[in-house]
Amino acid sequence: MAKIEFRNVVKRFGAIEVIPEMNLVIEDGEFVALLGPSGCGKSTSLFMLAGIYLPSGGELLFDGHVVNEVEARDRNVGIVFQSYALYPHMSVRDNILFPLRFKKTPRDEAFARVKAAADLVRVAELLERRPSELSGGQQQRVALARALVKEPQLLLLDEPLSNLDASLRLSMRTEIKSLHEQLGVTTVLVTHDQIEATTMADRIICMRAGRIEQVGTPDDLYLRPSSLFVAGFIGSPPINLIAGEAEAGTVTVNGARFPLEGGASGSVTVGLRPEHLRFGETGFAGRIAQIEPMGREILYVVETGMGAVRVLEQGSSAGHSTGEQVMIGFLPENSLVFETARQKLIAGAHVRAPE
Amino acid sequence: MSVQAIPKASTAASEPAADWDALAARARGVRRTKAVVLYAFLIAVSLPIILPYFWLVTIAFSARSGVAETAVLWRSMAVVVPAVVAFWLTAALAQSRRQLWIGIATVAAIAVFAFAVLVGPDLHVGNFIFLWEPDFASVVRSRIGEVKGAVQFPNVWHAFGNSILIAGAQTAIVVTVASLAAYYLSRFQFPGRSSMLRSLLVLHAFPVLTLIVPMFLMLYWIGLLDTLSGVILVLVAFELPFAIFIMKGFYDAVPWDIEMSALTDGASRRQAFVSVVLPQVRNGILAIAVFTFIRGWEEYIFVFTFLIRNSNWTMSLYMYWVRDDVMGVDYGVVSAVGVFYLVPSLILYMAAQRYLMQMSIGGVKG
Repeated sequence: MAKIEFRNVVKRFGAIEVIPEMNLVIEDGEFVALLGPSGCGKSTSLFMLAGIYLPSGGELLFDGHVVNEVEARDRNVGIVFQSYALYPHMSVRDNILFPLRFKKTPRDEAFARVKAAADLVRVAELLERRPSELSGGQQQRVALARALVKEPQLLLLDEPLSNLDASLRLSMRTEIKSLHEQLGVTTVLVTHDQIEATTMADRIICMRAGRIEQVGTPDDLYLRPSSLFVAGFIGSPPINLIAGEAEAGTVTVNGARFPLEGGASGSVTVGLRPEHLRFGETGFAGRIAQIEPMGREILYVVETGMGAVRVLEQGSSAGHSTGEQVMIGFLPENSLVFETARQKLIAGAHVRAPE
Repeated sequence: MSVQAIPKASTAASEPAADWDALAARARGVRRTKAVVLYAFLIAVSLPIILPYFWLVTIAFSARSGVAETAVLWRSMAVVVPAVVAFWLTAALAQSRRQLWIGIATVAAIAVFAFAVLVGPDLHVGNFIFLWEPDFASVVRSRIGEVKGAVQFPNVWHAFGNSILIAGAQTAIVVTVASLAAYYLSRFQFPGRSSMLRSLLVLHAFPVLTLIVPMFLMLYWIGLLDTLSGVILVLVAFELPFAIFIMKGFYDAVPWDIEMSALTDGASRRQAFVSVVLPQVRNGILAIAVFTFIRGWEEYIFVFTFLIRNSNWTMSLYMYWVRDDVMGVDYGVVSAVGVFYLVPSLILYMAAQRYLMQMSIGGVKG
């Protein structure tokens, strides 16, 4: 187990600066997720942790020791790749055994550990097969077993669920999380899928273009996104962002006036999550343009004076139809107000629905 | 047959109802014609390919010294041509895999029987005299009473050994160098990488014959003229570019992930290469090994130019001198040497066929 620290870490590929400067502490035994769109530098950070890329500057610390120049093979890091990267010419047993080959583990002990790792991820009955004979979910488990068999001080997961089908993804999510609880190994998950990050990680590091946008618990990112980018990235269906002007305690959006609590002035963007909006007697008016049933909930796309607004309603309260005129209300504490120019959240500022 | 009027498709309603049966009959006719043309073509091209090999073997086992006899060839042709036609007809008419196998087995059985009856009495192994009689040229000539002037042939097994040595050493060097060089070209970025790749192809486009005089001078000055190692080096130099190019295609197809995974699993770069990457390109290695070996086995121009002493003869030179010496007297012996020369590469091709097929798949990505 290890505490990981990035100190002013920079990574360049030739002239391209992929990570301008990264500062981050991951506590011993923590499960963190690096979340961001593709090309944001999250995989680069992961490969620096694994020792495959060398940082171009700054320091990378494991338990307080600088490991910048320590070779990948000496770092004792387990990694699960998006493609699983199983060795196709070896049986599952040899795949899991592979990391122990270079550690000169005694034969009996090595076989016992392979057995234990295989039991842990429930692939014990597949040991004699070749990777090509396994399903995606089984390959994933074997890759996990291979990463865990060497008892790594750090477990890295690179988009581990993205090649699985939806139901398998759900069960692997639970399984990886419980594995982490069982073993307590420091784990870093890289993903572009916000659901994966919020469901599995203790803490989420949201990245954008090589910079850390926000670090926090899933709740922090959902309820108090520090920027428009995070607000837009977290949450599904995505948050409604409405641009307006704040002046003298009111936000004016295309004629509609939202009373403002807390200090803000100039151009602001109001963020309203679809699941916080409710059809009611008061609020702002609109016409239902489209209905998308999502099972338990129904997503309404409502044409309003400030553009299309998404409203997520419980399925039981259905009974609306396309073309219907509705009023949309919300609770002030659920609203977010951002400064449009700096794209930052204005702490403590909220709007109320127009009366 | 009535067509319902669909409001949008006004043309369909105005045209007369389509005659579905006539359309089906026409399609059937077209399919039949295509099949007939295809099989006629297959028969026409397979005969000229099969016949020379067949005749080579037949002559090797049936020709006799001093007798210019072609009747046996016509009789053997009378077996082979109907057999080939029958084979393709079976392939065309068989309704199931089972029928196909039964049909092919029947054709083969009849052909073998006919061959045994028509050609069998003429078969003998006398033409393979060179395998056990080093001075076979004199023996063959003495049969027609002309002994003097025969070339002193080395033992055929000696020439066979030289050929194996040249082809084997060339293969070992090419495989080793190409698999290392191609890995580097595939995985590492270095100045001049792309121009090097381009020049690899240009090198291969060079007609090797144009270089034969400078190569001769070079070998002469280095002191490797008339040595097997000199020829091996020249062959390696000419075969390497293509082998490297093929191998690079195979390495390109091995995902980075697997290598990175091996590195984090505790392997060094070299260990990862040996235990994880090399097994993935095994088919490529086998393919270039087979091609290089056969290239060395059938090499003629360079051995003819650079090797002089008859103790350095390879099979191709042996074949050349046998043809030169006894062709007019006994073409049966020449054919027998040809069959003997052919057998190793045939065995190799058949054993490695599976991997050679994959080369075109792995190689095109290059």
